[in-house]
Amino acid sequence: MTTSNLKLLCSNFCKLRLDNMVTRSNSYYKPRYRPPHWYMPKDRVMTDDMVTQENKQFIEEVMKDKLKMQTEMKSPLVEGDVQQTVQWSPFIKRTGLIARKIGNYPVWDKSGKKLQTTLLQVVDNHVIKYIPPEEYKPMRNSTQSGIRTQRHGCLLIGSQTIDPSTVTKDYCGIFDSVGMLPKQHLCRFLISPEAALPTGTPLFATHFRVGDYIDIRAKTIDRGFQGVIKRWGFKGMPASHGVTKTHRRPGNIGGGGEKGRVWPGTKMPGHMGNRWRILRGVKILRINTKYNVIWALGVAIPGETGAMCYLYDTVLPLKKLKTAPPFPTHPPMSDLPLEYYDESIHPFDDSTITLDDA
Amino acid sequence: MSLALRKTTDIVAATKWILRRGCLNLSTLPEKSEVLEQSGNEVKRRSGRKPVNPILKCRHVYPEFLPDPNPKWRNSLREKLERMDMLKRRNQIEIPEFYVGSILAVTISDPHAQSKTNRFVGICIERKGSGLRAEFTLRNVVDHQGVEIRYDLYDPTIHQIQVLRLEKRLDDKLFYLRDALPEYSTFPFDMDPEILPEGTPVPINPVQVKLKPRPWLERWERQELKGISNIEEHLKEKDRVRRELRKKPWEKYDLMLQYRKTIPIEEQNDIWSEVYNQLHQLQVSQKKISRKRTYSTPKTQLG
Repeated sequence: MTTSNLKLLCSNFCKLRLDNMVTRSNSYYKPRYRPPHWYMPKDRVMTDDMVTQENKQFIEEVMKDKLKMQTEMKSPLVEGDVQQTVQWSPFIKRTGLIARKIGNYPVWDKSGKKLQTTLLQVVDNHVIKYIPPEEYKPMRNSTQSGIRTQRHGCLLIGSQTIDPSTVTKDYCGIFDSVGMLPKQHLCRFLISPEAALPTGTPLFATHFRVGDYIDIRAKTIDRGFQGVIKRWGFKGMPASHGVTKTHRRPGNIGGGGEKGRVWPGTKMPGHMGNRWRILRGVKILRINTKYNVIWALGVAIPGETGAMCYLYDTVLPLKKLKTAPPFPTHPPMSDLPLEYYDESIHPFDDSTITLDDA
Repeated sequence: MSLALRKTTDIVAATKWILRRGCLNLSTLPEKSEVLEQSGNEVKRRSGRKPVNPILKCRHVYPEFLPDPNPKWRNSLREKLERMDMLKRRNQIEIPEFYVGSILAVTISDPHAQSKTNRFVGICIERKGSGLRAEFTLRNVVDHQGVEIRYDLYDPTIHQIQVLRLEKRLDDKLFYLRDALPEYSTFPFDMDPEILPEGTPVPINPVQVKLKPRPWLERWERQELKGISNIEEHLKEKDRVRRELRKKPWEKYDLMLQYRKTIPIEEQNDIWSEVYNQLHQLQVSQKKISRKRTYSTPKTQLG
C-alpha cells in the first residue's frame, strides 16, 4: 500500500514542469499587436502615376488576360489530383464563406405564412492560402488560456476581384503566388486540418445546404455618437408637466456616499454600432446556384445593405450539422438545379396554396 | 352562338358603363385629362425632346415592378431576383390592372373559414410597397361596421383577384373614407363585374364624399384632398389659420424632392425592357382565357 502510494507520488512529482513560471516585474506587460505573418498593408496612397495612354491600355490588356486566366482556371477539386479520403465527422470544422448582404424580401411557407428573409450573395470566393496548425501562431490576448487544446489551421479566403493598381504591391504579392488578381476582402477562417482546401479552389453558395443553420458575423450599422434613448432604449423624461431641458437625458447615474462614483458599465451616451457581432443559428431557406445567393431567415443580420459578412457552420449544439455536408466543399458542377428550396418553403412557380380539411 | 353571346355581353357591358356614368353625373374629366396629355406630348415633340419610350407606360399598370428609390436599399441583383419571382407568381394567377378607387373582390385561402376560402369585396383605398412587398388595402362596411383588409399582392394564398369596377378616384389615397358617411364605402358582396369596352381609358370617378362631424382620425383639411365636398362645414377659424400656416407651396418646385422619390428614366427603361415581353405575353394569354370564359356569373346568396 505504502509503496504504491510512494510510486504515485514519485510519478506525479516527475510530471511537474517548470515551464510555467510566474515572474514579477515592476513594468506592466502590455500585449503588442502582432499582425498575422500573411498580413500586408492594402491601402495605397493614390498618386497621379504619369502613365501614358499606351501604357494604360497595356495594363488594361494584361489585367484582362489575367482575369481570363482566372476564370478559366479549373478548380483543383474537379481535376482530381486531390483525393479526399477523410470522412466528415461532427468534430471537424469546415471553412466558411464571405458574402455580401444585398437586401430583404419575403417568402411564403407551405402553410401560407409570410417569412422575411435576408439575401446574401457569395461574391467570387477563392482559397488564397492554407497555413497548417504547426505554422499558425496567432497573437494571443489575455482572455485566452495559455494552452491551446484544439489545433486549427488557418485558411485565407478572398472575395471580389479588384484592379491591382489600386492596392499596394505587397498586397498583390499574396495573390500573385496563387496566380490571381487581388481581392477586395481577405478573411481568415480557422479550420480543422482535415478540411483544408488547395489554393485557388472557388467556393460557392452550395457550400451550405438548404435547411442548415449558419452563424453570420458582420459589422453592425455605424450610427455614430448617440444618446441614451437610441443607444440603450432609455425612456427619457416627459415632454411637459414642468420638465425643462431634460427630455432625452439619462437622469441619475448613481448613488452617493460609499458608492459616490460612476460605476463601471453604466449605460451612457457614446458611439453606437460599427462593432463585430455574430448572429447564431440562422436557417437557410433557399439557394440560387446561378447567382450564388443564399436566402437566410430573418432580418436581424448585422450591417446595412451592401455590407460584407462571414458565414460559418453554426456552433449551437442543437442546430449543429447532423448529416454530412459537402466536404471539404461543394465542387463546381454545371448540371445543378437553378434553385434549392427548403421543404417548408413555397416556391413562387408552384400553384396557389389551398388548405384542405384535415 | 358564342360570337353572338360575346356580342350581346359586350353591348350589355357598354350600356352598363354608360348608364353608370349617367347615374353618377360624371363630368368629362377623363376625356379632358386625355386631351391634356396628348397636347402635352405634341408640345414635347415640337420642342425637340427625345420621344418617350412607350413601354414606360407600364409604370402606371405595374407600379410594384419599380424598386424603392431609397439608395440605401438599392441592389441591382436583388431587384432582378425579386422581379423574376414576381413574374413566376404572375404566371400562376392573373393579377389584373387596378388602381386606388377600384372595387375588387379577393378570394384567399383562410384556415378558419368553413369552406377554407374567404371572399372579400371592397374599394381599394391604398396601394403601396415595391417588389414582393407590394400590398393593397380593401375597405367595405359589413353590418354597419367598417372593415379593412390588407392583402399582399404576391401572397400565394390568394386564389383570385377580380376587378369588379375599374376606375380611379380624385386622390391617391382614400383614407378619408374612414371618416366619411358609411354609404361611400359600402359595396354589396354580390356585385357584378362591370366590363369596360376594350381600348377605353380608365375612367376617373369624380365623386366627392361627405365627412362625418369631428373627431376625425387625421387632419384632412391640411392634406389638400379633392375628394371631400363638405370639409369647410366642420372647420373652425383656428383650423383655417393653421392650414395656411402649414402649407408647403414650395414643394411642387422642389426638383430634388421629386428626383429622390422616383426612379430615373434610364433605369426604368432597363427594368421595363427586361420584364415587358413576359408581361405582355401574360396579358395576351390572359385576355384569350377571359374571352373564352362565359360572362354569366351566378349570384351567390349570402347570409
